[in-house]
Amino acid sequence: MISQRDIRLTVNGVSYEGSAEPRMTLVDFLRHELGLVGTHVGCEHGVCGACTILMDGKAVRSCIMLAAQADGADLMTVEGLAKDAELHPIQQAFMEERGLQCGFCTPGFMMSIHELLQTTTDPSDEEIRDALGGAICRCTGYESILKSVRNAAAKLRAST
Amino acid sequence: MGGFEFPKSIDDLPVTNPKWVGRPVKRVEDPQLITGRAEFIDNVELPGMLHCAILHSPHPHARIKSIDMSRAAAMPGVVTTLTGEDAERWTRKSYTTPEGWGTYVLATDKVRFVGEPVAAVAATSRYIAEDALELIDVEYELLDPIVDAFAAAQPDSPKVFDEHENNIMYQRKFTWGEVDEAFAQAGHTYTEKFRWHRVGANPLETFGVISEWDLVEDTLTCRGSFQTPSYMAMGRAATFRLPSNKVRFIGQPHGGSFGGKGGGRGTDITAMLSRKAGGRPVKWIEDRIEYLTAGGSQAWDRHYEVSIAVKNDGTVTALRVKLLDDLGATAEGFGATGAVKPMASFTGCYAIPAAEYDLTLVATNKLPASPYRGMGPPPHNFVLEQMMDIAARDLGIDPAEIRRRNFIPPDQFPYIIPSGNEYDSGEYEAALDKVLEMSGYEELRNEQEEARAQGRLIGVGVVSTIEPGVFDWNAYTVIGTRGIGIPEGVNVSIDTMGKITARVGFALEGQGQYTVVTQLLADYFCVELEDVRVVMADNLSAPPNFGPGGSRLGVAITGAVLGAAQRLTEKLVKVAAKLFEVQPEDVELLDGELRVKSVPESKISVRNVVGIMLNRSDMLPPDVDPSPEATFAWTAPGRVEPDEQGRVKSYLTAANACHLVMVEVDPDTGMVEILKYYIADDCGTRLNPANVDGMIQGALAQGVGAALLEEYVYDENAQPLTASFMDYLLPTIHEVPMPEKASLVTPSPFTPLGAKGAGESAIHTTPAAIMCAINDALLPLKVRATEVPASPNRVWKLIQDAQQQ
Repeated sequence: MISQRDIRLTVNGVSYEGSAEPRMTLVDFLRHELGLVGTHVGCEHGVCGACTILMDGKAVRSCIMLAAQADGADLMTVEGLAKDAELHPIQQAFMEERGLQCGFCTPGFMMSIHELLQTTTDPSDEEIRDALGGAICRCTGYESILKSVRNAAAKLRAST
Repeated sequence: MGGFEFPKSIDDLPVTNPKWVGRPVKRVEDPQLITGRAEFIDNVELPGMLHCAILHSPHPHARIKSIDMSRAAAMPGVVTTLTGEDAERWTRKSYTTPEGWGTYVLATDKVRFVGEPVAAVAATSRYIAEDALELIDVEYELLDPIVDAFAAAQPDSPKVFDEHENNIMYQRKFTWGEVDEAFAQAGHTYTEKFRWHRVGANPLETFGVISEWDLVEDTLTCRGSFQTPSYMAMGRAATFRLPSNKVRFIGQPHGGSFGGKGGGRGTDITAMLSRKAGGRPVKWIEDRIEYLTAGGSQAWDRHYEVSIAVKNDGTVTALRVKLLDDLGATAEGFGATGAVKPMASFTGCYAIPAAEYDLTLVATNKLPASPYRGMGPPPHNFVLEQMMDIAARDLGIDPAEIRRRNFIPPDQFPYIIPSGNEYDSGEYEAALDKVLEMSGYEELRNEQEEARAQGRLIGVGVVSTIEPGVFDWNAYTVIGTRGIGIPEGVNVSIDTMGKITARVGFALEGQGQYTVVTQLLADYFCVELEDVRVVMADNLSAPPNFGPGGSRLGVAITGAVLGAAQRLTEKLVKVAAKLFEVQPEDVELLDGELRVKSVPESKISVRNVVGIMLNRSDMLPPDVDPSPEATFAWTAPGRVEPDEQGRVKSYLTAANACHLVMVEVDPDTGMVEILKYYIADDCGTRLNPANVDGMIQGALAQGVGAALLEEYVYDENAQPLTASFMDYLLPTIHEVPMPEKASLVTPSPFTPLGAKGAGESAIHTTPAAIMCAINDALLPLKVRATEVPASPNRVWKLIQDAQQQ
């Protein structure tokens, strides 16, 4: 057997301790070891962006990172957006603007958007496109996602 | 159907002011999806579950001399293994259309495409299962690969199936009307060859399944991302020779399908692994490489030769289409249906009186073709619309004008096209006019002239198409599918608290049909959306159903819901009539209350009637049982068998769209940039306009992909070169235009509420429109793009050719 490696990390403010083989991907660790299945796997080679999470505030693709690389990191996943029954403004915006159809890519998109709106409170369409250019949605044709980002940005501005 | 009168429009619902149907209400599907809680198949873990990995053939064509599983089986963590021998013992060869071109789910005699499953293992983790694949020893004897469709169609070609005479899976020429005569008498005839390369669905979630074979009871339970769970279940019962009520299929919410989810092989392989593993559940999640090379990913590999006969005034009198469609190694994936479906809208929006379809389906050593959104007409529309432009250019008629002159006029509906299908209604000229007006067409042409004068390659494409809606099996009788009609059922119940539950046979997939069901029931019984819940029923609990497919479900489920609601209301009416001591015909449902028609103050709420039914047997009429629920299955009326030339009323509705697109071609790189895009879409009554808009925009994106980016490439040895998203290019937010859109509403006279099938949407139109625009841009160079996708390399080569002339 390949030796296990201890991994300690924080996800959505909760500390986890676990162990994984050195080869285990971060997304598999999140989904199958920690049970955080909201992060999805679309391509397993870092193109589609469905597995995007935030690591120390930066969007990363958890399918092409190893769990071991996240040792000590502070992660955020889709499960960290809503506070109990209260949806995050990004989630509300996605519902209002129809930013999703099948919803499989949506958690990844929302994490990329979360990263964008942390630093750019009133993004232009071009900035939104640049932020989302590395994510694939096969259902919506992106128009409603673009609107969702504008809507979410307005909500977040209004709340601060 | 059964004496049922369906409401013809939203205004006919039993509610004074409909609040939900016809409005862009928020989707009931969304909360679980935006929080990451939706139970996609890979989120499901079962006790004792094993994980499957599949060994795929690296060769396109080879005889299997031996398979040695012993090293893999001995690996710690591996529980069981599987080869073609197991498949041969336990299963039937795959059902195919046309018949007789199937194989076992694991290769037995030989492999026929790169990616064909050869062996499989079940282990305690996917990682271990993948490791074990490395220890499987297969000895192959390589055979010549068959990759070129024309060569494959020759009598002396090596054969994909030794037991067949040649590689021709199907060949037939359909003639509708006086085609030869029309061509002989035409003032002008035009002929061109076209090539449409393989594209496909690529839902963001690949296929996944967990199978569990209970050895004691001999039952099979499968959970998975099934587009059509009940249909898959029936197929598995046949494959495994199991009693059909011992096969239970549970559809999980899934991440898109677009017809190309696939899954038959993976389901069968995991089922057999479970059987060999003592009944432990076995999960298989297809990875993206598997999807791209061995899944339900590829469709429409077409070589066209097309001719049209045209009068001096631009009237088209006949259309001839010769198609060679490369279906790949087997006919298991319903790829053939994609070649037949164009018969449902063969002559597009045009009143072309005669047509001919010379169709050949050929086998090669490529992945078996699958369905994809649109199911075949998008390439057909592409070639038809190029021919319209070719004729327009030669005759000096504006492309918009030649279409206008050929449109089926509104007063001729219902209209039967030469290939036999009936269009229900349409206002094609109105849609065209709308697009011309939105785009400022004349000004666009002026802009184009100015740009051309500056040496820029700017082009405009304007295209109108039909989206056949509400598919029926009779559309495919000619290639061997059986049956007429496709029941879609729903069960609706109201509980003692007045809350409504609808049970449907299909899972969440993205189109928002649970929302449509909710809207319909909320308006019918005049309650809030929150008072209605839609649940997925497995194949053993659901009424007869098919699920999404062929732009059918929105219309079909509307019929089912309205039928069930009406049946349920008939029961409520009887109970209320007894209470009021009147005859049932004197009671009606309006605004959520049962009312005595002539005595407005004599009324009782639906909830109270249901309460009486369930809790006061003393007050029930003798002919009413205490069951406030009803089931109804809807199927399209008036469907029959095709005639000897394959002519049949197949698809019930004909939605129409007109797209206008302006592109610029970069002469230095061959890159095509979409500058402007306009859409007028008419799919009849829009049950949820936001749903429809989402279908249009999403299908537009897929159309852009098909026209400009997406292509499955095989090399000359039949090796797939597009095994990742770095090679198979899906459109991103940078490539997809955000068009100006308008909606027209020409209700269908044939469907409940007047809705038309709308799910496939813009993919019918976008590739044709973009290609017309590219060819318009290239016009000054006197070259023509006839290959899809119009990738930069192809367009650049065309420009180089032009400059060298």
